[in-house]
Amino acid sequence: MSQPGPKPPFGDAQLAIEGIREYAIFLLETDGTVASWNEGARLLKGYAKSEIIGQSFTRFYTREDVLAGQPWRLLDRAVNEGRVEDEGWRVRKDGTRFWADVVITAVRTPDGELRGFVKVTRDLTARKQAEEALRQSEERMRLMIDSVKDYAIFMLEPDGRVATWNPGAERLKGYAAREIIGQSFSRFYPEEDLAAGKPARELETAAAEGRFEEEGWRVRKDGSRFWASVVLSAVRNEAGTLVGYAKVTRDLTERKRIGEAILARAAQQAATARLGVYALEQPDSEALIRRAAETVRDTLGTEVVQLLELNAEGDRLILRAGCGMPPGAIGRVTIPFEGLGSPSRPPEPRSPGAGAARRSPAATGGITATIHSTARAHGLYGVLTANSSTPRVFSDDDLNFLQAVANVVAAGIERRRMEEQVLLAEQKTLEERARALQAREALRERDEFISVAAHELRTPLTALQLKLQGLERGLRAGMREKRGSEANLETRLDGALRQTERLSSLIERLLDVSRIAAGRLELAPERFDLAALVHQVADDFKDPAAAVGSELRVNAAQSVEGSWDRLRMEQVLVNLLSNAVKYGAGRPVSVKLDAAGDRVRLTVADEGIGIAPEDIGRIFTRFERAAPLRHYGGLGLGLYISRHIVDAHGGRIDVQSNLGQGSTFVVDLPLAVAPGLGAGHDSPQARA
Amino acid sequence: MVEDDRDVRQAIAEVLSDCEYKALHASNGAEALERLRTAPVQPCVILLDIMMPTMDGWQFRAAQRSDPSVKDIPVVILTAHADADTAAEQMDAAGFLMKPVALDLLLGIVERFCAVDQP
Repeated sequence: MSQPGPKPPFGDAQLAIEGIREYAIFLLETDGTVASWNEGARLLKGYAKSEIIGQSFTRFYTREDVLAGQPWRLLDRAVNEGRVEDEGWRVRKDGTRFWADVVITAVRTPDGELRGFVKVTRDLTARKQAEEALRQSEERMRLMIDSVKDYAIFMLEPDGRVATWNPGAERLKGYAAREIIGQSFSRFYPEEDLAAGKPARELETAAAEGRFEEEGWRVRKDGSRFWASVVLSAVRNEAGTLVGYAKVTRDLTERKRIGEAILARAAQQAATARLGVYALEQPDSEALIRRAAETVRDTLGTEVVQLLELNAEGDRLILRAGCGMPPGAIGRVTIPFEGLGSPSRPPEPRSPGAGAARRSPAATGGITATIHSTARAHGLYGVLTANSSTPRVFSDDDLNFLQAVANVVAAGIERRRMEEQVLLAEQKTLEERARALQAREALRERDEFISVAAHELRTPLTALQLKLQGLERGLRAGMREKRGSEANLETRLDGALRQTERLSSLIERLLDVSRIAAGRLELAPERFDLAALVHQVADDFKDPAAAVGSELRVNAAQSVEGSWDRLRMEQVLVNLLSNAVKYGAGRPVSVKLDAAGDRVRLTVADEGIGIAPEDIGRIFTRFERAAPLRHYGGLGLGLYISRHIVDAHGGRIDVQSNLGQGSTFVVDLPLAVAPGLGAGHDSPQARA
Repeated sequence: MVEDDRDVRQAIAEVLSDCEYKALHASNGAEALERLRTAPVQPCVILLDIMMPTMDGWQFRAAQRSDPSVKDIPVVILTAHADADTAAEQMDAAGFLMKPVALDLLLGIVERFCAVDQP
């Protein structure tokens, strides 16, 4: 029965089998010796047909498998079960191994007698290697994903149910894998996002665009929120069918917090800078501290901000500016001050830890910064406090900010103080300059007066000196011997005497100025007829008036009895008349005297050059005259003295004038000089 | 002599008369010009006050210098002002006298311009 060899057991089919290169297909005798060999077997195992026929199949197995009886076990199974399939390492002729897929089928006669085995072996080394690589890769991936603690990396089913879960996801979201796998991922979203249909929309977006990415709030198992960076990627198979989503979630809460802190710090720095600019531009300290309080409120978001100034005694703080304070509290609310704990320590404004800005021990959440001032008690202008009505943790940045604002206020106040000192100094300088100007003006006025007075005095002095020297010369030359020399001498002496009278009168007027200036213009009232005096003085001016071509008209009541200083009233009349003649331009001059009730009115009017409106105000002042000095001499004192004489009598002097049309001076007097009057208006008690 | 103060005018007239000078008087510049133009004999010197009404010394001097008939008469300024020398220079005057003037000085100036025939 046993006919191994030339006749292939499967006839023509065997020829075909022998040509197959991809599979090793051969027959084994019932004892396992190789009965046939095809091309595939030669290529796979390296033996030529002649070498292997008649050899035991055990040589294809590894030493370990042979020792373990594996070849015979396989044959037994094939005998018992009809066929056996095995994967395992096999050995080539050269000793190298390959991963083989082996199928051994028992070959029996129709009556069931075992004839042998067909063995089909396939080299699976390449597949095995690929599978191994894949397995290792998957293992690495799993390890990697499992080791990632900072990222939640998990898969979602296409419907959004959680399919996988890594430790990072557990750590981040608080769910264990068994709790969450199979649950919808929508439970990671806040309620408002659920209501808005956000989870489904994100899946749709990822499915449509391959990817969805966002930063947003997510919810942990315990209900707390975290700021997440989420990347959702659609996963498709080779056919392009959506098989699920890969989701990578990262907790950015810390990063967000840091970002927000940086933003807040930047906002605080900007607010401080703006306040600094304001402090430079705003000269008002009150406005600066108001702005400082508002800056703190707006930047820190604290409802209550107080800027308190330490009083001079250093024991109470007074509210100077505040936000969230009742109206009217500014300047009224005071707080006892017990010091800052370590006032002797030098201030270190930039370092809140050094006792400058401090956290209030109160749980309500408050911080305090000190406003330093070298000019104040304890070196302190005051304090700046920010309080939150709800519990709040203030950051070091907040403390630094508050102290920075306090420092700006301190610098602003200090600067203002120095500016005020400078201003005060400048003001003093200005006052001194004004005094100097005034003194210089007084000096100039005095110089001018001296110059005018000197000029006025020199004129009669010239006449007097010439007359006296002429007399002296004449006497030496024996004037007496000349004809009519006695009369001539007498005339000349009279002339000289007249010059001394002129000089005396001038000097008297200068003394009047001194008296008026010293408030010692004294009156000696007596009863007399003012009308008679007016006529008398007018008579004296008839000739001088005629000399310049002016007609002098007198219109005085018969008799105006009253009590005045006769000489002073004469002085006034002479002044007014001499002015009228001097400035009358040769036109008529009129003098009028009216009495009505207890008042007397004296009017002196000319039709001469007049006074310009801008000059009227100053003609009654010392050394002033409206007319140019080069044409009109005189001390410029007449009207000044006249005004003071009239004032001393309790009357007043006024002028109406039009330039080129003449002037009208009106003296209004009481009938009798009032008791208590009579001195210069500066010192009424000086009356004799 | 051009001088607005009657007393000064009279005093000068007296002393000049004592020395046998003949003097023409005017109380201001306008009057002086009028007198000069109608005088039978031109004066040898003009004593000129500066501060006068109607026409002051400056105006008179300007008018005089523009009138060929009188422009060559020398002018001596007679003034109470401290800056007489400056004024004299500016008015191109032949000299100046300060008030109050000493008789000798006055006569000396007049003598310089007026050769007096000794009797």
